[in-house]
Amino acid sequence: MKHVILFTIDALRRDTLGLYGNTQGFTPFLDSLTVDSAVFTHAHSVAPYTQASFPGILTSTYLFDTPREQKLSEKRTLICEALKRRAGVNEITTAAFHSNPYLSGYFGWNRGWDTFYDSMQDEVEDMSPYINGNAINQKIDAWLGSVDTGKPLFLWVHYMDVHEPYVPQRRYIDRVDGSIKLSREQMFALFKEVVLARDVSNPQTVQLLRKLYQAHVCEVDEYARQLFTVLEKHSVLPDSTVIITTDHGEEFGEHGGLSHDGKMYAELVHVPQLIVNAPEKRGESCDTLVSGLDIPPTILELYGLEPEQSFQGSSLFPLSRYPEKGLYGEAVGKLAHKIKETDKPAYYYREGQWKVIYRQEEYSWELYDLDEDPQEQCNRIGNVEAAEGLKHALEPRIGREPI
Amino acid sequence: MPKINLGAERIKQLNDKIAKSKEIFQQAFDRFSVRETRLIWSGGKDSTLTLWICRQYCREKGIELPKAFTIDEGDAFVEIDAMLHTYAREWGVSLDWGRNEDVLKAANHTLDAEVQVADLNERNQAEIKRIGFDLKAFPFEAESYVGNHLMKTVVFNTYIEDNAVKAVFQGLRWDEQKARAKDPFFEDVEAAELTPAHTRWRPILHFTERDIWDTTLYFDIPYCPLYEKGYRSLGAKTTSLKSSDVPAWEQDLENTEERAGRRQDKEKTMARLRQLGYM
Repeated sequence: MKHVILFTIDALRRDTLGLYGNTQGFTPFLDSLTVDSAVFTHAHSVAPYTQASFPGILTSTYLFDTPREQKLSEKRTLICEALKRRAGVNEITTAAFHSNPYLSGYFGWNRGWDTFYDSMQDEVEDMSPYINGNAINQKIDAWLGSVDTGKPLFLWVHYMDVHEPYVPQRRYIDRVDGSIKLSREQMFALFKEVVLARDVSNPQTVQLLRKLYQAHVCEVDEYARQLFTVLEKHSVLPDSTVIITTDHGEEFGEHGGLSHDGKMYAELVHVPQLIVNAPEKRGESCDTLVSGLDIPPTILELYGLEPEQSFQGSSLFPLSRYPEKGLYGEAVGKLAHKIKETDKPAYYYREGQWKVIYRQEEYSWELYDLDEDPQEQCNRIGNVEAAEGLKHALEPRIGREPI
Repeated sequence: MPKINLGAERIKQLNDKIAKSKEIFQQAFDRFSVRETRLIWSGGKDSTLTLWICRQYCREKGIELPKAFTIDEGDAFVEIDAMLHTYAREWGVSLDWGRNEDVLKAANHTLDAEVQVADLNERNQAEIKRIGFDLKAFPFEAESYVGNHLMKTVVFNTYIEDNAVKAVFQGLRWDEQKARAKDPFFEDVEAAELTPAHTRWRPILHFTERDIWDTTLYFDIPYCPLYEKGYRSLGAKTTSLKSSDVPAWEQDLENTEERAGRRQDKEKTMARLRQLGYM
């Protein structure tokens, strides 16, 4: 494969996709890709929100590898920079198209790309405060028309469409539940009054929010179909490996909250990941434990390039050489939309069927047996035997955050 | 020896553009006396070229050079200051400096200092109200929403009012940002609350960023040395970033954003985060 495309969909819950067993039919297009894909059943994000997760996906590093700061540290190497360094400046044409302010040029994520579109100069509406997937696809269409596709391309596409506020279009709401008759203003009010307030007191409201979110998932599936049509139109698709994943999931009351806070539970960090036109395991699923950190090394491997020293993950291919290992995650343990300076870190470590979580704010440990309790509802920290090894593995990382 | 090699065709194109600019000056001086006009000169590449063409026009016509006006937002590059002082002297330009002293004083001339609205004079308080800002304090920053209004718009309006200025020349260009793409060569601004009536003339609207550099280098027009260091667009010091380490004119002007290094960026990114509920 000549080209690599990294396609990330912000805040996409794994359990909304048919390919992971959802039977409600929200994602016919993404599901159809499994025929040509390696589907990873145990993929994990290194963190539960964008600013902490994307250092993994694009720089193969953890949040606390550098001091807490808003801007991307110069010490982290973006995959686009690594590609230029390994392959030569003009060998691979790189481009990024997205609409997430946390990944904008202002925060330093524009380093090293030949083309970088973050949409921050565009006008958006309050009820839909990002450029949608359709508009991003059009930018990509124009870009593909302007570059030499005879040369290898690396394209990163990121959609914001399932991210709150959940104000989906009527036709997508009808696909989920035609009885929902809210106006756009009413949906937006739910975002302001319920989501931002993390108010889970009314289970019916939480269920309603979940459905509005699912309507956005239907929408994203259509944009994904469009994107693949654009790639086909420019004859890029047959020569491309496409990595599809997310930076984190979304919570609907599973652990007392909404949206995506600094919590380390499955609904936020156990993520979808499929690799279309993968070198191995096409049409198969792969249950190896893998991390968002593995994406940059995998991209280098797909281009046949040498590994990058600063990358902490491992290439997924060849799978036979992928090291068997536990997975770490870390983030600021915020419990609201906004991160406060005083918010303390939270960590997780996953190995085999077990997962341990430590929150520094409460000095609290949790242990989950994922074979029996994949929803992580029943804390087994009393199981000393199981807990000991995992706590031991996680302890060296606690408090490592540089100031 | 010009600093750049251009073909005869390109040189003719540039000369045609300069001739077009002179036509705009001609139209302006048909309507206004030189004393009623001001040339807005920031020290950046665009307004410096505007001034250079204006000066040539005035010499050809044997008329007096209009006064120039520059706005000090309290966060200027020393290189820009030096540029203005040096060429005002060398070119015989009478240059007025505008500052919002009241705000500078309230901020103790310190960036990011918190300015209490109650400490400001009546005019500034009225201006803050006019733009719909209802907080009690704001951080002193030249390119924030409030800062931009107080440090630039208010200074400009006050100056043209106090000096009975009827027309200003601006170095704006169609290609500098999308919002400018349809700007006319001149525009009458009607009087409004706190804004006196005046006409804005844009003699170099039709120059592209590439035209600016080709003209500047070919005719050996002075420019601020920061452009040589990789800045493409100069605004307030703390909000302008280098877009590259190579001189502005060697960068990919056609395919990258001229103002990418200018942090309207910051404002816009923060506004997006607020819309998503993160602030």
